[in-house]
Amino acid sequence: MPFDFTQPSGRRAWIRQLLGPMDEAKWSELSSELFKWQYPRVPAYRRLCLGRQTDPQDFKSWRDIPAVPQQLFKREKLYCAGLPSPQAIYETSGTTTGEPGRQYLSRTDIYRAVSFEGARRAGFFVGNPQLHFLVPSPLEAPLSSLSAMFGFWQKAARQTGSRFWARQGQFDFSPLRETLACHIKAREPVALCGTAFSFVHLLDAWADLPPLRLPRGSRLLETGGFKGRSREVSKPELYAQLSRLLGLSDDQIWNEYGMSELSSQAYARGTTGLHFTPPWARVIICDPATGREVRPGQHGLVRWLDLANTDSVFALQTLDLAERTPEGFKLIGRMARTEPRGCSLGADDLALAKTSH
Amino acid sequence: MTTRQRLDLLARAYPRLFPRAGLTRLLRDQLGDVDALEGWINRGHVRVWARAPKLIYHIGAGNLAISAMTSLVQGLLLGAHNVVKLPGDREDGTTRKEILDFIKGLPAPLRKLVETQRVLDPKLMCEADVVIAFGSDATMEKIRSQTRWEQKFIGHGHALSLLWLAQPNQLSPRQARACAIDILTYDQLGCLSPQAIYVPAGTDVALLGEKLTHALEKHWSGLHPKPPRPLPTAARIAEARDMAYALGHHVWLPPKRHLGWTLIHDPSPTFRPSALHGVIYLRQVSSTRLHAALAPIEGRISTVGLAGALSAPMEQVFLDLGVTRFCPAGRMQFPPLTWHHDGGHGLAEMVTWIDAEV
Repeated sequence: MPFDFTQPSGRRAWIRQLLGPMDEAKWSELSSELFKWQYPRVPAYRRLCLGRQTDPQDFKSWRDIPAVPQQLFKREKLYCAGLPSPQAIYETSGTTTGEPGRQYLSRTDIYRAVSFEGARRAGFFVGNPQLHFLVPSPLEAPLSSLSAMFGFWQKAARQTGSRFWARQGQFDFSPLRETLACHIKAREPVALCGTAFSFVHLLDAWADLPPLRLPRGSRLLETGGFKGRSREVSKPELYAQLSRLLGLSDDQIWNEYGMSELSSQAYARGTTGLHFTPPWARVIICDPATGREVRPGQHGLVRWLDLANTDSVFALQTLDLAERTPEGFKLIGRMARTEPRGCSLGADDLALAKTSH
Repeated sequence: MTTRQRLDLLARAYPRLFPRAGLTRLLRDQLGDVDALEGWINRGHVRVWARAPKLIYHIGAGNLAISAMTSLVQGLLLGAHNVVKLPGDREDGTTRKEILDFIKGLPAPLRKLVETQRVLDPKLMCEADVVIAFGSDATMEKIRSQTRWEQKFIGHGHALSLLWLAQPNQLSPRQARACAIDILTYDQLGCLSPQAIYVPAGTDVALLGEKLTHALEKHWSGLHPKPPRPLPTAARIAEARDMAYALGHHVWLPPKRHLGWTLIHDPSPTFRPSALHGVIYLRQVSSTRLHAALAPIEGRISTVGLAGALSAPMEQVFLDLGVTRFCPAGRMQFPPLTWHHDGGHGLAEMVTWIDAEV
């Protein structure tokens, strides 16, 4: 019986499937199911599949399911026909090309369930740390999928002291420091969550203040890049500075790898930690020349298959470089920076030229 | 060493890239006389002497070696000491190697006039009489901000080129081949590389697509060595193809879907940059909409390669958009040495003219 994502009951049933036991057979079955659901309902996806000569009635493996380029979210509305008006729209930053991408969700139920459960299963909430977020609240930033996710976490954790520490484009670092001092005094573990650039601002703001020693069991979660919103700092340097500032070990600093176009996230710990996805999402590292998965030890592009991404397209091809490892994958970074362009005008340059006028 | 001796050495070292006739014409066109650097030249009621710069600082782009080579040759013709800042370590190294090989191939007396640097030396750059730079607009801005106000700065920032097919329904195999040469030379990486083919409304796109694919494949097959397709390049090409499929564009691919070239018919006439590396967009536009279609790149179009005659109104549109060069298809990548790069005057801009009124 096919799932019906237009109905809350159908979505609840899907969540149960995702959060239940997941073996290879079930993964194949659910990915095939979702492919068959999205193919006829997202015209751009159908056209891509036709161009790639892949038909949902006739494909061998879930690895053959075509993935949409991440860039497509900036050009097309990828939203399954027949779903009610979207309850949430999340936008990508659009800092690279000037055009934001949009992710439409008919309801936030699945995103809410998997984003919390994914972090929980990764172990992020072990010890019930006090959650503090260096991003604007979902109310202030309704188009931010990250704010939405942190909002879900906050509600699920039911902590009275948990707060969002960015307001109207400013960080409230002074009251945050006072709050952290209280947690330190009370020996309550803390989880500080934010974008990489927000932590660079934190480092700059507290550069002349004495370092803190967060209570045992505390952790920090950083996500995303810098994208011209702060000075750029390499990952090892950022982690080392944050370790010194907050009294955390490298292993207590987490990276969340996700994107607005997806519903699930991968997590890694420490500077050199590998990323792991939850059971309902998979990342395969592909060779763009062949479209096939590379061998362990080789570099390729990250391709996501996220069964929680029911309302748009669940297979997403990124331009993020990674190394496939036997256990997971090691994220290297965005590919765009590796290409020499010289005097030839490219999309990024055109966007820059537009914004500079 | 005189200008003629330097010219002779250059032409003997690189007769195909820098032929004697071309170098002679360059000096005559831009300085008025081959011997303009050697002494006084009569120009009607005034005698002039072109004094060459002593030191020229060249900053090459990371994508192509040919621009740095041409710039260096001009500096050598002038007899200046030339410092070449090579593309940095962030680039893949191919361009750097090509420039170094070119310098190695120069005759010893000319090679003495050249030194290279891997890292920009702001102090030395400030000492130069002329700074010539190729690269992104951001690079140009940065370099210019480091130069002295009285220094001559010749910057070549971002630019791109286009093909215009006047009568695409009658495109001959020869013209199609010419387009393929323009598209695939230097792997489409330079500012003279076309990023789109524009055709008038009423074009039989299917027929044209077939002609072009045939020509592209034929030309690609004959390329030795073929441009590499490392992971980032392959990713860009694959993304462009998938985007085109998803957007409902017609995509023509080579046999076995190799990554040599990709032809995409985008029904929107509005220009969008290509992924390069053989990815070319075919766009149809009426003459009345051409200006609007190219408005995003106004002032950044270097060359328009032409197959067929360009009507006066169309020419005016391109001129209004700031195009600085028209040439027949097949010659886009091979401008004559006398070419006014970005509308500039190369050699003439570098020298200092001394006037003696009679």
